[in-house]
Amino acid sequence: MSLYAYDQIDREMLADRAAEFRGQVARRLSGDISEDQFKPLRLMNGLYLQLHAYMLRVAIPYGALDGRQLRALAAISRDFDKGYGHFTTRTNIQFHWIRLKDAPDILDRLAAVDLHAIQTSGNCIRNVTADPYAGATAEEIDDPRVWSEAIRQWSTFHPEFTYLPRKFKIAVTGSAKDRTAARAHDIGLKLTRNREGQLGFEVMVGGGMGRTPYLGPTIRQFLPARSLLSYLTAILRVYNRLGRRDNIYKARIKILVASTGAEEFARLVEAEWAALDQAPIDLPDLELARIRTAFGVVPFETLPARSDVFEAARAADPALARFARNNLAPHKRSGYAIVNISLKAPGETPGDATAAQMEAVAAVAERYGQDDIRVTHAQNLVLPHVKLDDLPVVFAELQRHGLATPNLDLVTDIIACPGLDYCALANARAIPIAQDIARRFAAPDRAEAIGELKVKISGCINACGHHHAGHIGILGVDKKGEEFYQLSLGGSGAEDASLAAILGPALPADQVAPAVEALVDAYLGLRSDPAERFLDTYRRLGPAPFKEAVYADAHQA
Amino acid sequence: MTLQALTANRLLDGDVVFWSGERWVEQFSDAHLYDDPEPAEAALATAKGLPTVLVDPYLIAVTDDGAAPVSFRERIRALGPSDHLELGKQAEGGAAIAAIQHAHGSALSTGRLSLIRRKP
Amino acid sequence: MPTLIRLEDGAFVEAVDRFVTVAADEAIPTDGGVILPLARFEAEGAALLDDGRPVGVLIQPDEAVEGLAYDLPRLALVALSFPKYRDGRAYSSAALLRTRLGFAGEVRAVGDVLREQAREMVRCGFDAYVPSDGSSAADWAGAAGRYRHVYQTAADRRAPAFVERESE
Repeated sequence: MSLYAYDQIDREMLADRAAEFRGQVARRLSGDISEDQFKPLRLMNGLYLQLHAYMLRVAIPYGALDGRQLRALAAISRDFDKGYGHFTTRTNIQFHWIRLKDAPDILDRLAAVDLHAIQTSGNCIRNVTADPYAGATAEEIDDPRVWSEAIRQWSTFHPEFTYLPRKFKIAVTGSAKDRTAARAHDIGLKLTRNREGQLGFEVMVGGGMGRTPYLGPTIRQFLPARSLLSYLTAILRVYNRLGRRDNIYKARIKILVASTGAEEFARLVEAEWAALDQAPIDLPDLELARIRTAFGVVPFETLPARSDVFEAARAADPALARFARNNLAPHKRSGYAIVNISLKAPGETPGDATAAQMEAVAAVAERYGQDDIRVTHAQNLVLPHVKLDDLPVVFAELQRHGLATPNLDLVTDIIACPGLDYCALANARAIPIAQDIARRFAAPDRAEAIGELKVKISGCINACGHHHAGHIGILGVDKKGEEFYQLSLGGSGAEDASLAAILGPALPADQVAPAVEALVDAYLGLRSDPAERFLDTYRRLGPAPFKEAVYADAHQA
Repeated sequence: MTLQALTANRLLDGDVVFWSGERWVEQFSDAHLYDDPEPAEAALATAKGLPTVLVDPYLIAVTDDGAAPVSFRERIRALGPSDHLELGKQAEGGAAIAAIQHAHGSALSTGRLSLIRRKP
Repeated sequence: MPTLIRLEDGAFVEAVDRFVTVAADEAIPTDGGVILPLARFEAEGAALLDDGRPVGVLIQPDEAVEGLAYDLPRLALVALSFPKYRDGRAYSSAALLRTRLGFAGEVRAVGDVLREQAREMVRCGFDAYVPSDGSSAADWAGAAGRYRHVYQTAADRRAPAFVERESE
């Protein structure tokens, strides 16, 4: 098992938190505390009141969990919800049909398997997003999970930062390829080495989606790794003191950085950091080593690069071959692969998994995957350590449970928030739009021929679907009570980060999938060669040909 | 004047409920429809005095034939999610549910009569 | 008179308030302890201190507590205001008072002060509270004592988990 092993102290934290919340719920039910006083407390335990019921957002810390935990989530979905869960763009899992009176029992059940819903909502530091390929990818400078766990502990119940101006999201990436959208976070941390080979972080501050998207500027090129927590303290303190509190739409740190200016903001942070007594805040080497060790060591076998079993199977089974082409990523160890499990079967709700599917993934992970499962910000799952020899049987098992859709990063691998079907904040539905588009491109040959195309859909300006970072971004808006959708093009949440630009006037719901088809057709006709991605063709040619394709009558306007 | 209904979420389980005139019910078709703002406001005031029963009661606009809430959002609250037609209130089926599902037109996006600030 | 709760030697006790909080335009009582808003303190505080009066300063969330640095050694207390309990700026102010500015007097939480925030307040260095929710010293003791461990270093200097682990 290569999950951070909770020790007695970690477990007592979860137990004490669950007990505290039980008391707070009782006081709310008896009228001892008002809804206004209770709301931040329940939000800080991940409990929202949504359109149909309460929604519970369970933390999957930096997207990592094991089979036991996934089974527990499946059981919770059965015992307290309606038999399914939704994986989110911040690598958490949501249950949509929760009752307040059950929440304390659910937290106890979670705590029993080292899970919780701590700080998954509220104006506090949220779950850290880390590279889902951590510990498996060859191009990693250091394991981001170690640092994510350090941040998790430092930020959990941090007394000074529990009532921030607004929510706060941190991402840690350790590879050249950014699978976390780090620059679109409040703080993005990129592991790096300086010329002397010292380990540290490039620190980016002030990114964010939402009403006004920003890419965070780098405020420090190199921060020695051991100073991470004190530096974060400095950033958070500056934000806590200076972030706006008069207008919730202007309260994120991205607004503060933009209005102060990156240079001046960096100066404020450096000044605070210099004045801080850093030593008591930063983790001693011993503790960092303890955390690293607590992740365990994966007992990799020494295997040849080529697996005869796998080669024979994929030669015989075109479906396996297609799955391997699209959903596998190279592993740092010879004879292993990283397996991506798509939760985007065309026609299904993106990111949803049934209890049976969760249990199937748990079983496969336990038997063939070193009991290691990750969640990605694209609402998919990953088995980071699978032997090539085992791929045929893993694929067969995934297929049995509808978990073998071979569409990673393709047009049908759509990110969509729950939208107006579930969320009290939404203006429009996102799920049916995703389903429409996915059904249109469901033919696997077609999707593969199109190549990498990231479609991201949000049901409101809060942008939980990350539409600003979509190659095709779609934003649901409310136009005189009807659902309309604004298309934007050219966004990216990867290391080539960019914000999507609005293409033209919003379209009614039934015209969205045809518009996407028109965009795809335009791209196929314009690309310089099949290797040129949609995003690259757009960047090369600009919006004009795409606008023309969608708004064919535009010249008449 | 527009017909109105009074709705809220139940504190204990978060379920969407409507005031029937006598008790809090789960189906929109059992909701009392007000055609006069005074009793509607009075019922709302009473509901706001029940913080251990309800969260955030408010009035919603209803179509002239009384079949459905005006706003799309309120229709979804009265039905359930469109990606799982077997879940939520819509699972009960029947004519009243069908009437909400097939209701046409909507003007007020949130359905709340006391509109919170909305950018034009 | 709203209850004043003080944290003394680790115990929460109900206390008699020996200070009068004076508003911007009110007359200052001729004797006894007074708490003045910052601007008023800057104008009239020195004279009161010279008279040997116990003086406290009331700091709003947007007022920088560093401005008191030179006067802190002579101040009996600093009151930090929570206009709304969700406004968390006073937590940073308290932490700065205790750590960087080395203030050893009373740090008092006033305004929208609720027992559900007892833990954060204690950890950030508050040692006196004027609750607005009618809670008692026993309530505060209960709320503040719910966690057996803490993960991070804070102004209260309670040993964080990683120090506890060292000694295992």
